[in-house]
Amino acid sequence: MAKYLLKRSAQILVTLFVFLSLVFFIVNAQPGDVSNFYALNPDVPPETRERLQDLFGVNEPLWKQYLVHLKNTFTGNFGISFSHYPRSVADVIGERLPRTVVLFMTATALSFYLGFGLGKVVAWRRGGWFEYTSTVSGVTLYTVFTPWFGLMMIWLFAFKAGWFPIGKFLDPVLWRDAPIDANSVFTQMIITAFAVSFVVLTVFVITAQKRMSNARIIRIVSMVLATLAVVAVWMSWGTVSYAWDILRHMVLPVATLTLISFAGTMLLTRNSMLETMREDFVMAARAKGLPESAVRDKHVARNALLPVVTSFIFSLAFAVDGGVITESIFSWPGMGQTLVSATLTEDLPLAVGAFVFVGIFVLVAHLVADILYAYLDPRIRY
Amino acid sequence: MTTDPVLAVDDLKMHYVTQAGVVRAVDGVSFSVERGQSLGLVGESGCGKSSIAMTLLKLLPDNARLVAGSIALNGIDLVPLSEDEMRPHRWDRISMVFQAAMNSLDPVYRVGDQIVEALEAHSSSAGRDAMERVRELFDLVSLDPSYILRYPHEYSGGMRQRAIIAMALACEPDIIIADEPTTALDVIVQDHILREMQTIQHSLEMSMIYISHDMAVIAEVCDVVGVMYAGKLVEFGPTADVYARPIHPYTRALMSAFPSVRGEKHELVTLPGEPPNLLDPPGGCAFNPRCAYATDECRTTAPPIVKRGDQWAACWNPSDE
Ligand SMILES: Nc1ncnc2c1ncn2[C@@H]1O[C@H](COP(=O)(O)OP(=O)(O)OP(=O)(O)O)[C@@H](O)[C@H]1O
Ligand SMILES: [Mg+2]
Repeated sequence: MAKYLLKRSAQILVTLFVFLSLVFFIVNAQPGDVSNFYALNPDVPPETRERLQDLFGVNEPLWKQYLVHLKNTFTGNFGISFSHYPRSVADVIGERLPRTVVLFMTATALSFYLGFGLGKVVAWRRGGWFEYTSTVSGVTLYTVFTPWFGLMMIWLFAFKAGWFPIGKFLDPVLWRDAPIDANSVFTQMIITAFAVSFVVLTVFVITAQKRMSNARIIRIVSMVLATLAVVAVWMSWGTVSYAWDILRHMVLPVATLTLISFAGTMLLTRNSMLETMREDFVMAARAKGLPESAVRDKHVARNALLPVVTSFIFSLAFAVDGGVITESIFSWPGMGQTLVSATLTEDLPLAVGAFVFVGIFVLVAHLVADILYAYLDPRIRY
Repeated sequence: MTTDPVLAVDDLKMHYVTQAGVVRAVDGVSFSVERGQSLGLVGESGCGKSSIAMTLLKLLPDNARLVAGSIALNGIDLVPLSEDEMRPHRWDRISMVFQAAMNSLDPVYRVGDQIVEALEAHSSSAGRDAMERVRELFDLVSLDPSYILRYPHEYSGGMRQRAIIAMALACEPDIIIADEPTTALDVIVQDHILREMQTIQHSLEMSMIYISHDMAVIAEVCDVVGVMYAGKLVEFGPTADVYARPIHPYTRALMSAFPSVRGEKHELVTLPGEPPNLLDPPGGCAFNPRCAYATDECRTTAPPIVKRGDQWAACWNPSDE
């Protein structure tokens, strides 16, 4: 296992290197350079322009600039953002990356859960209205024009029904006199989510591996305990109303991302299930006298999961596209929005930084998914 | 014998409904198996052997129709039972070694766990007890107990077959159906496994149905044999009698198509023609287009039953040697 991890990590590093090089050369292939932001101003005298270009280092040979780019990336130095002056790029990204990661992970988990669950049921009960409606609505959502769909969601649930805020990360009125800043609350939320999932997952894995007869009770009790602990901790922090505000802002973007992407998983699960159902071990499971639900979940779905996860890993990078668009529409101040606005305002340091981090994020997500796959399929040799 | 048979099948008919028409895969089959007895079913590929096996467990695809007949297992007719009523009988009373034994283990679970799963589905013995039983079963089929916690892909073909047999034995069923249990194995392993199965069967006093297209295998392990052709039994009787003096021309043809069990030399004759299309089997006796003795009666009217001791055949022109 350790060897496999090491090998995959090495591969990821090579990919990262290629990606960094691509980012550099694509940015350099554009007309103009990073000094244009200041130097093209007609009020700047020619000698100042020269000096600016020297300061930015754009008169150096390309290979030297490339090496500097690599060195800076690996030391975490992305310079100062033009549009957020005087904040550093690393600072801006440090604030926004978690927001994207949370949005993306929540939507991804939900869409996988929804898609896999529906696909499973659809395959099991072939034909009939359930298969028809879920397939048609799934495909419609999958192929819909994302910006339009996002706007429709806002119009319907925020503007017409008024259930959710129209966009952004928080409600400024509520936060004006807040004793704590939004990033700290958000960090608390992330820590809570991680702690809870960790505890629940550990309990599930342990009860499954030790084949305990009262596994179900232990699981339910542990979930109740975790919930109580969360409530107690948040009461003591006294920031519940602020966290609630952020949560309310998350609902629509998460729902949009989930809805536009679950159908892919659903259709794939359905096909994979139908294929697995023909396998001999499924017949054997039935012959053993297992109840239908056990045949479906323990044998068919468990095996059908493998190709679904594979294609899911490949689709991770594409999910970033949807994320960028969704963030822009909901004015969610995450990496996607940062990427778009930095590009539009020619904030080159921030744009490069954002690209690099989105790339790293996708690569890490890949690595995690690969490890998960190796865990799911015992035939994978480490 | 005075005791009731473990399994009594009467006039069983199972048809597949396809776009091209109705496939009469099991077409009026009757036989019974006594406790501790082993029955062999032989016949060419496509004559409905696996279909019988799947019908006995009532594990049928959506397009299959159980048209008529009864399957009495320990006196209980399985045919009218619902899926839920059928489930407790499966594996606990009647289990199976599948034709595609290689693929009947789920690749993502440890072999031991898959056997435990079967045990837990039929009794409350969970956790440690079940694992203890798995160890016994591995011992019984001479598998190394260290393989209990391994995955199927770590097993060789012969080991997988043994594991499947161990799984079939798990709940000590009254009868095990073995559908071509050894076809995918090399001859030496095949021989070992057959012999072991026979020993286990005798020590546990179980009944078995062996399904094979190989007359030699059946001769080695079965007390009685049924010869199938086109979804019907054409000859049935004690193995020794059927092999010594086959009545039906098809049985004779099958026997001369295989090397002799007793080692006498004889010319291997291949049976001319194709097995019949079960969508539209020939009228009268289904074997008539390939039979050297066929007469007009054979082409028009179903053949009568000819008896000779415990042996019988359905034929118009039985051999009387
Ligand atoms: N699901 C199905 N739908 C339609 N026809 C089927 C189906 N399954 C089997 N058949 C047909 O039923 C007939 C009997 O098939 P079966 O598998 O029982 O034969 P078999 O004697 O076991 O052959 P083999 O020795 O090749 O295993 C064949 O003609 C086959 O094509
Ligand atoms: Mg078969």
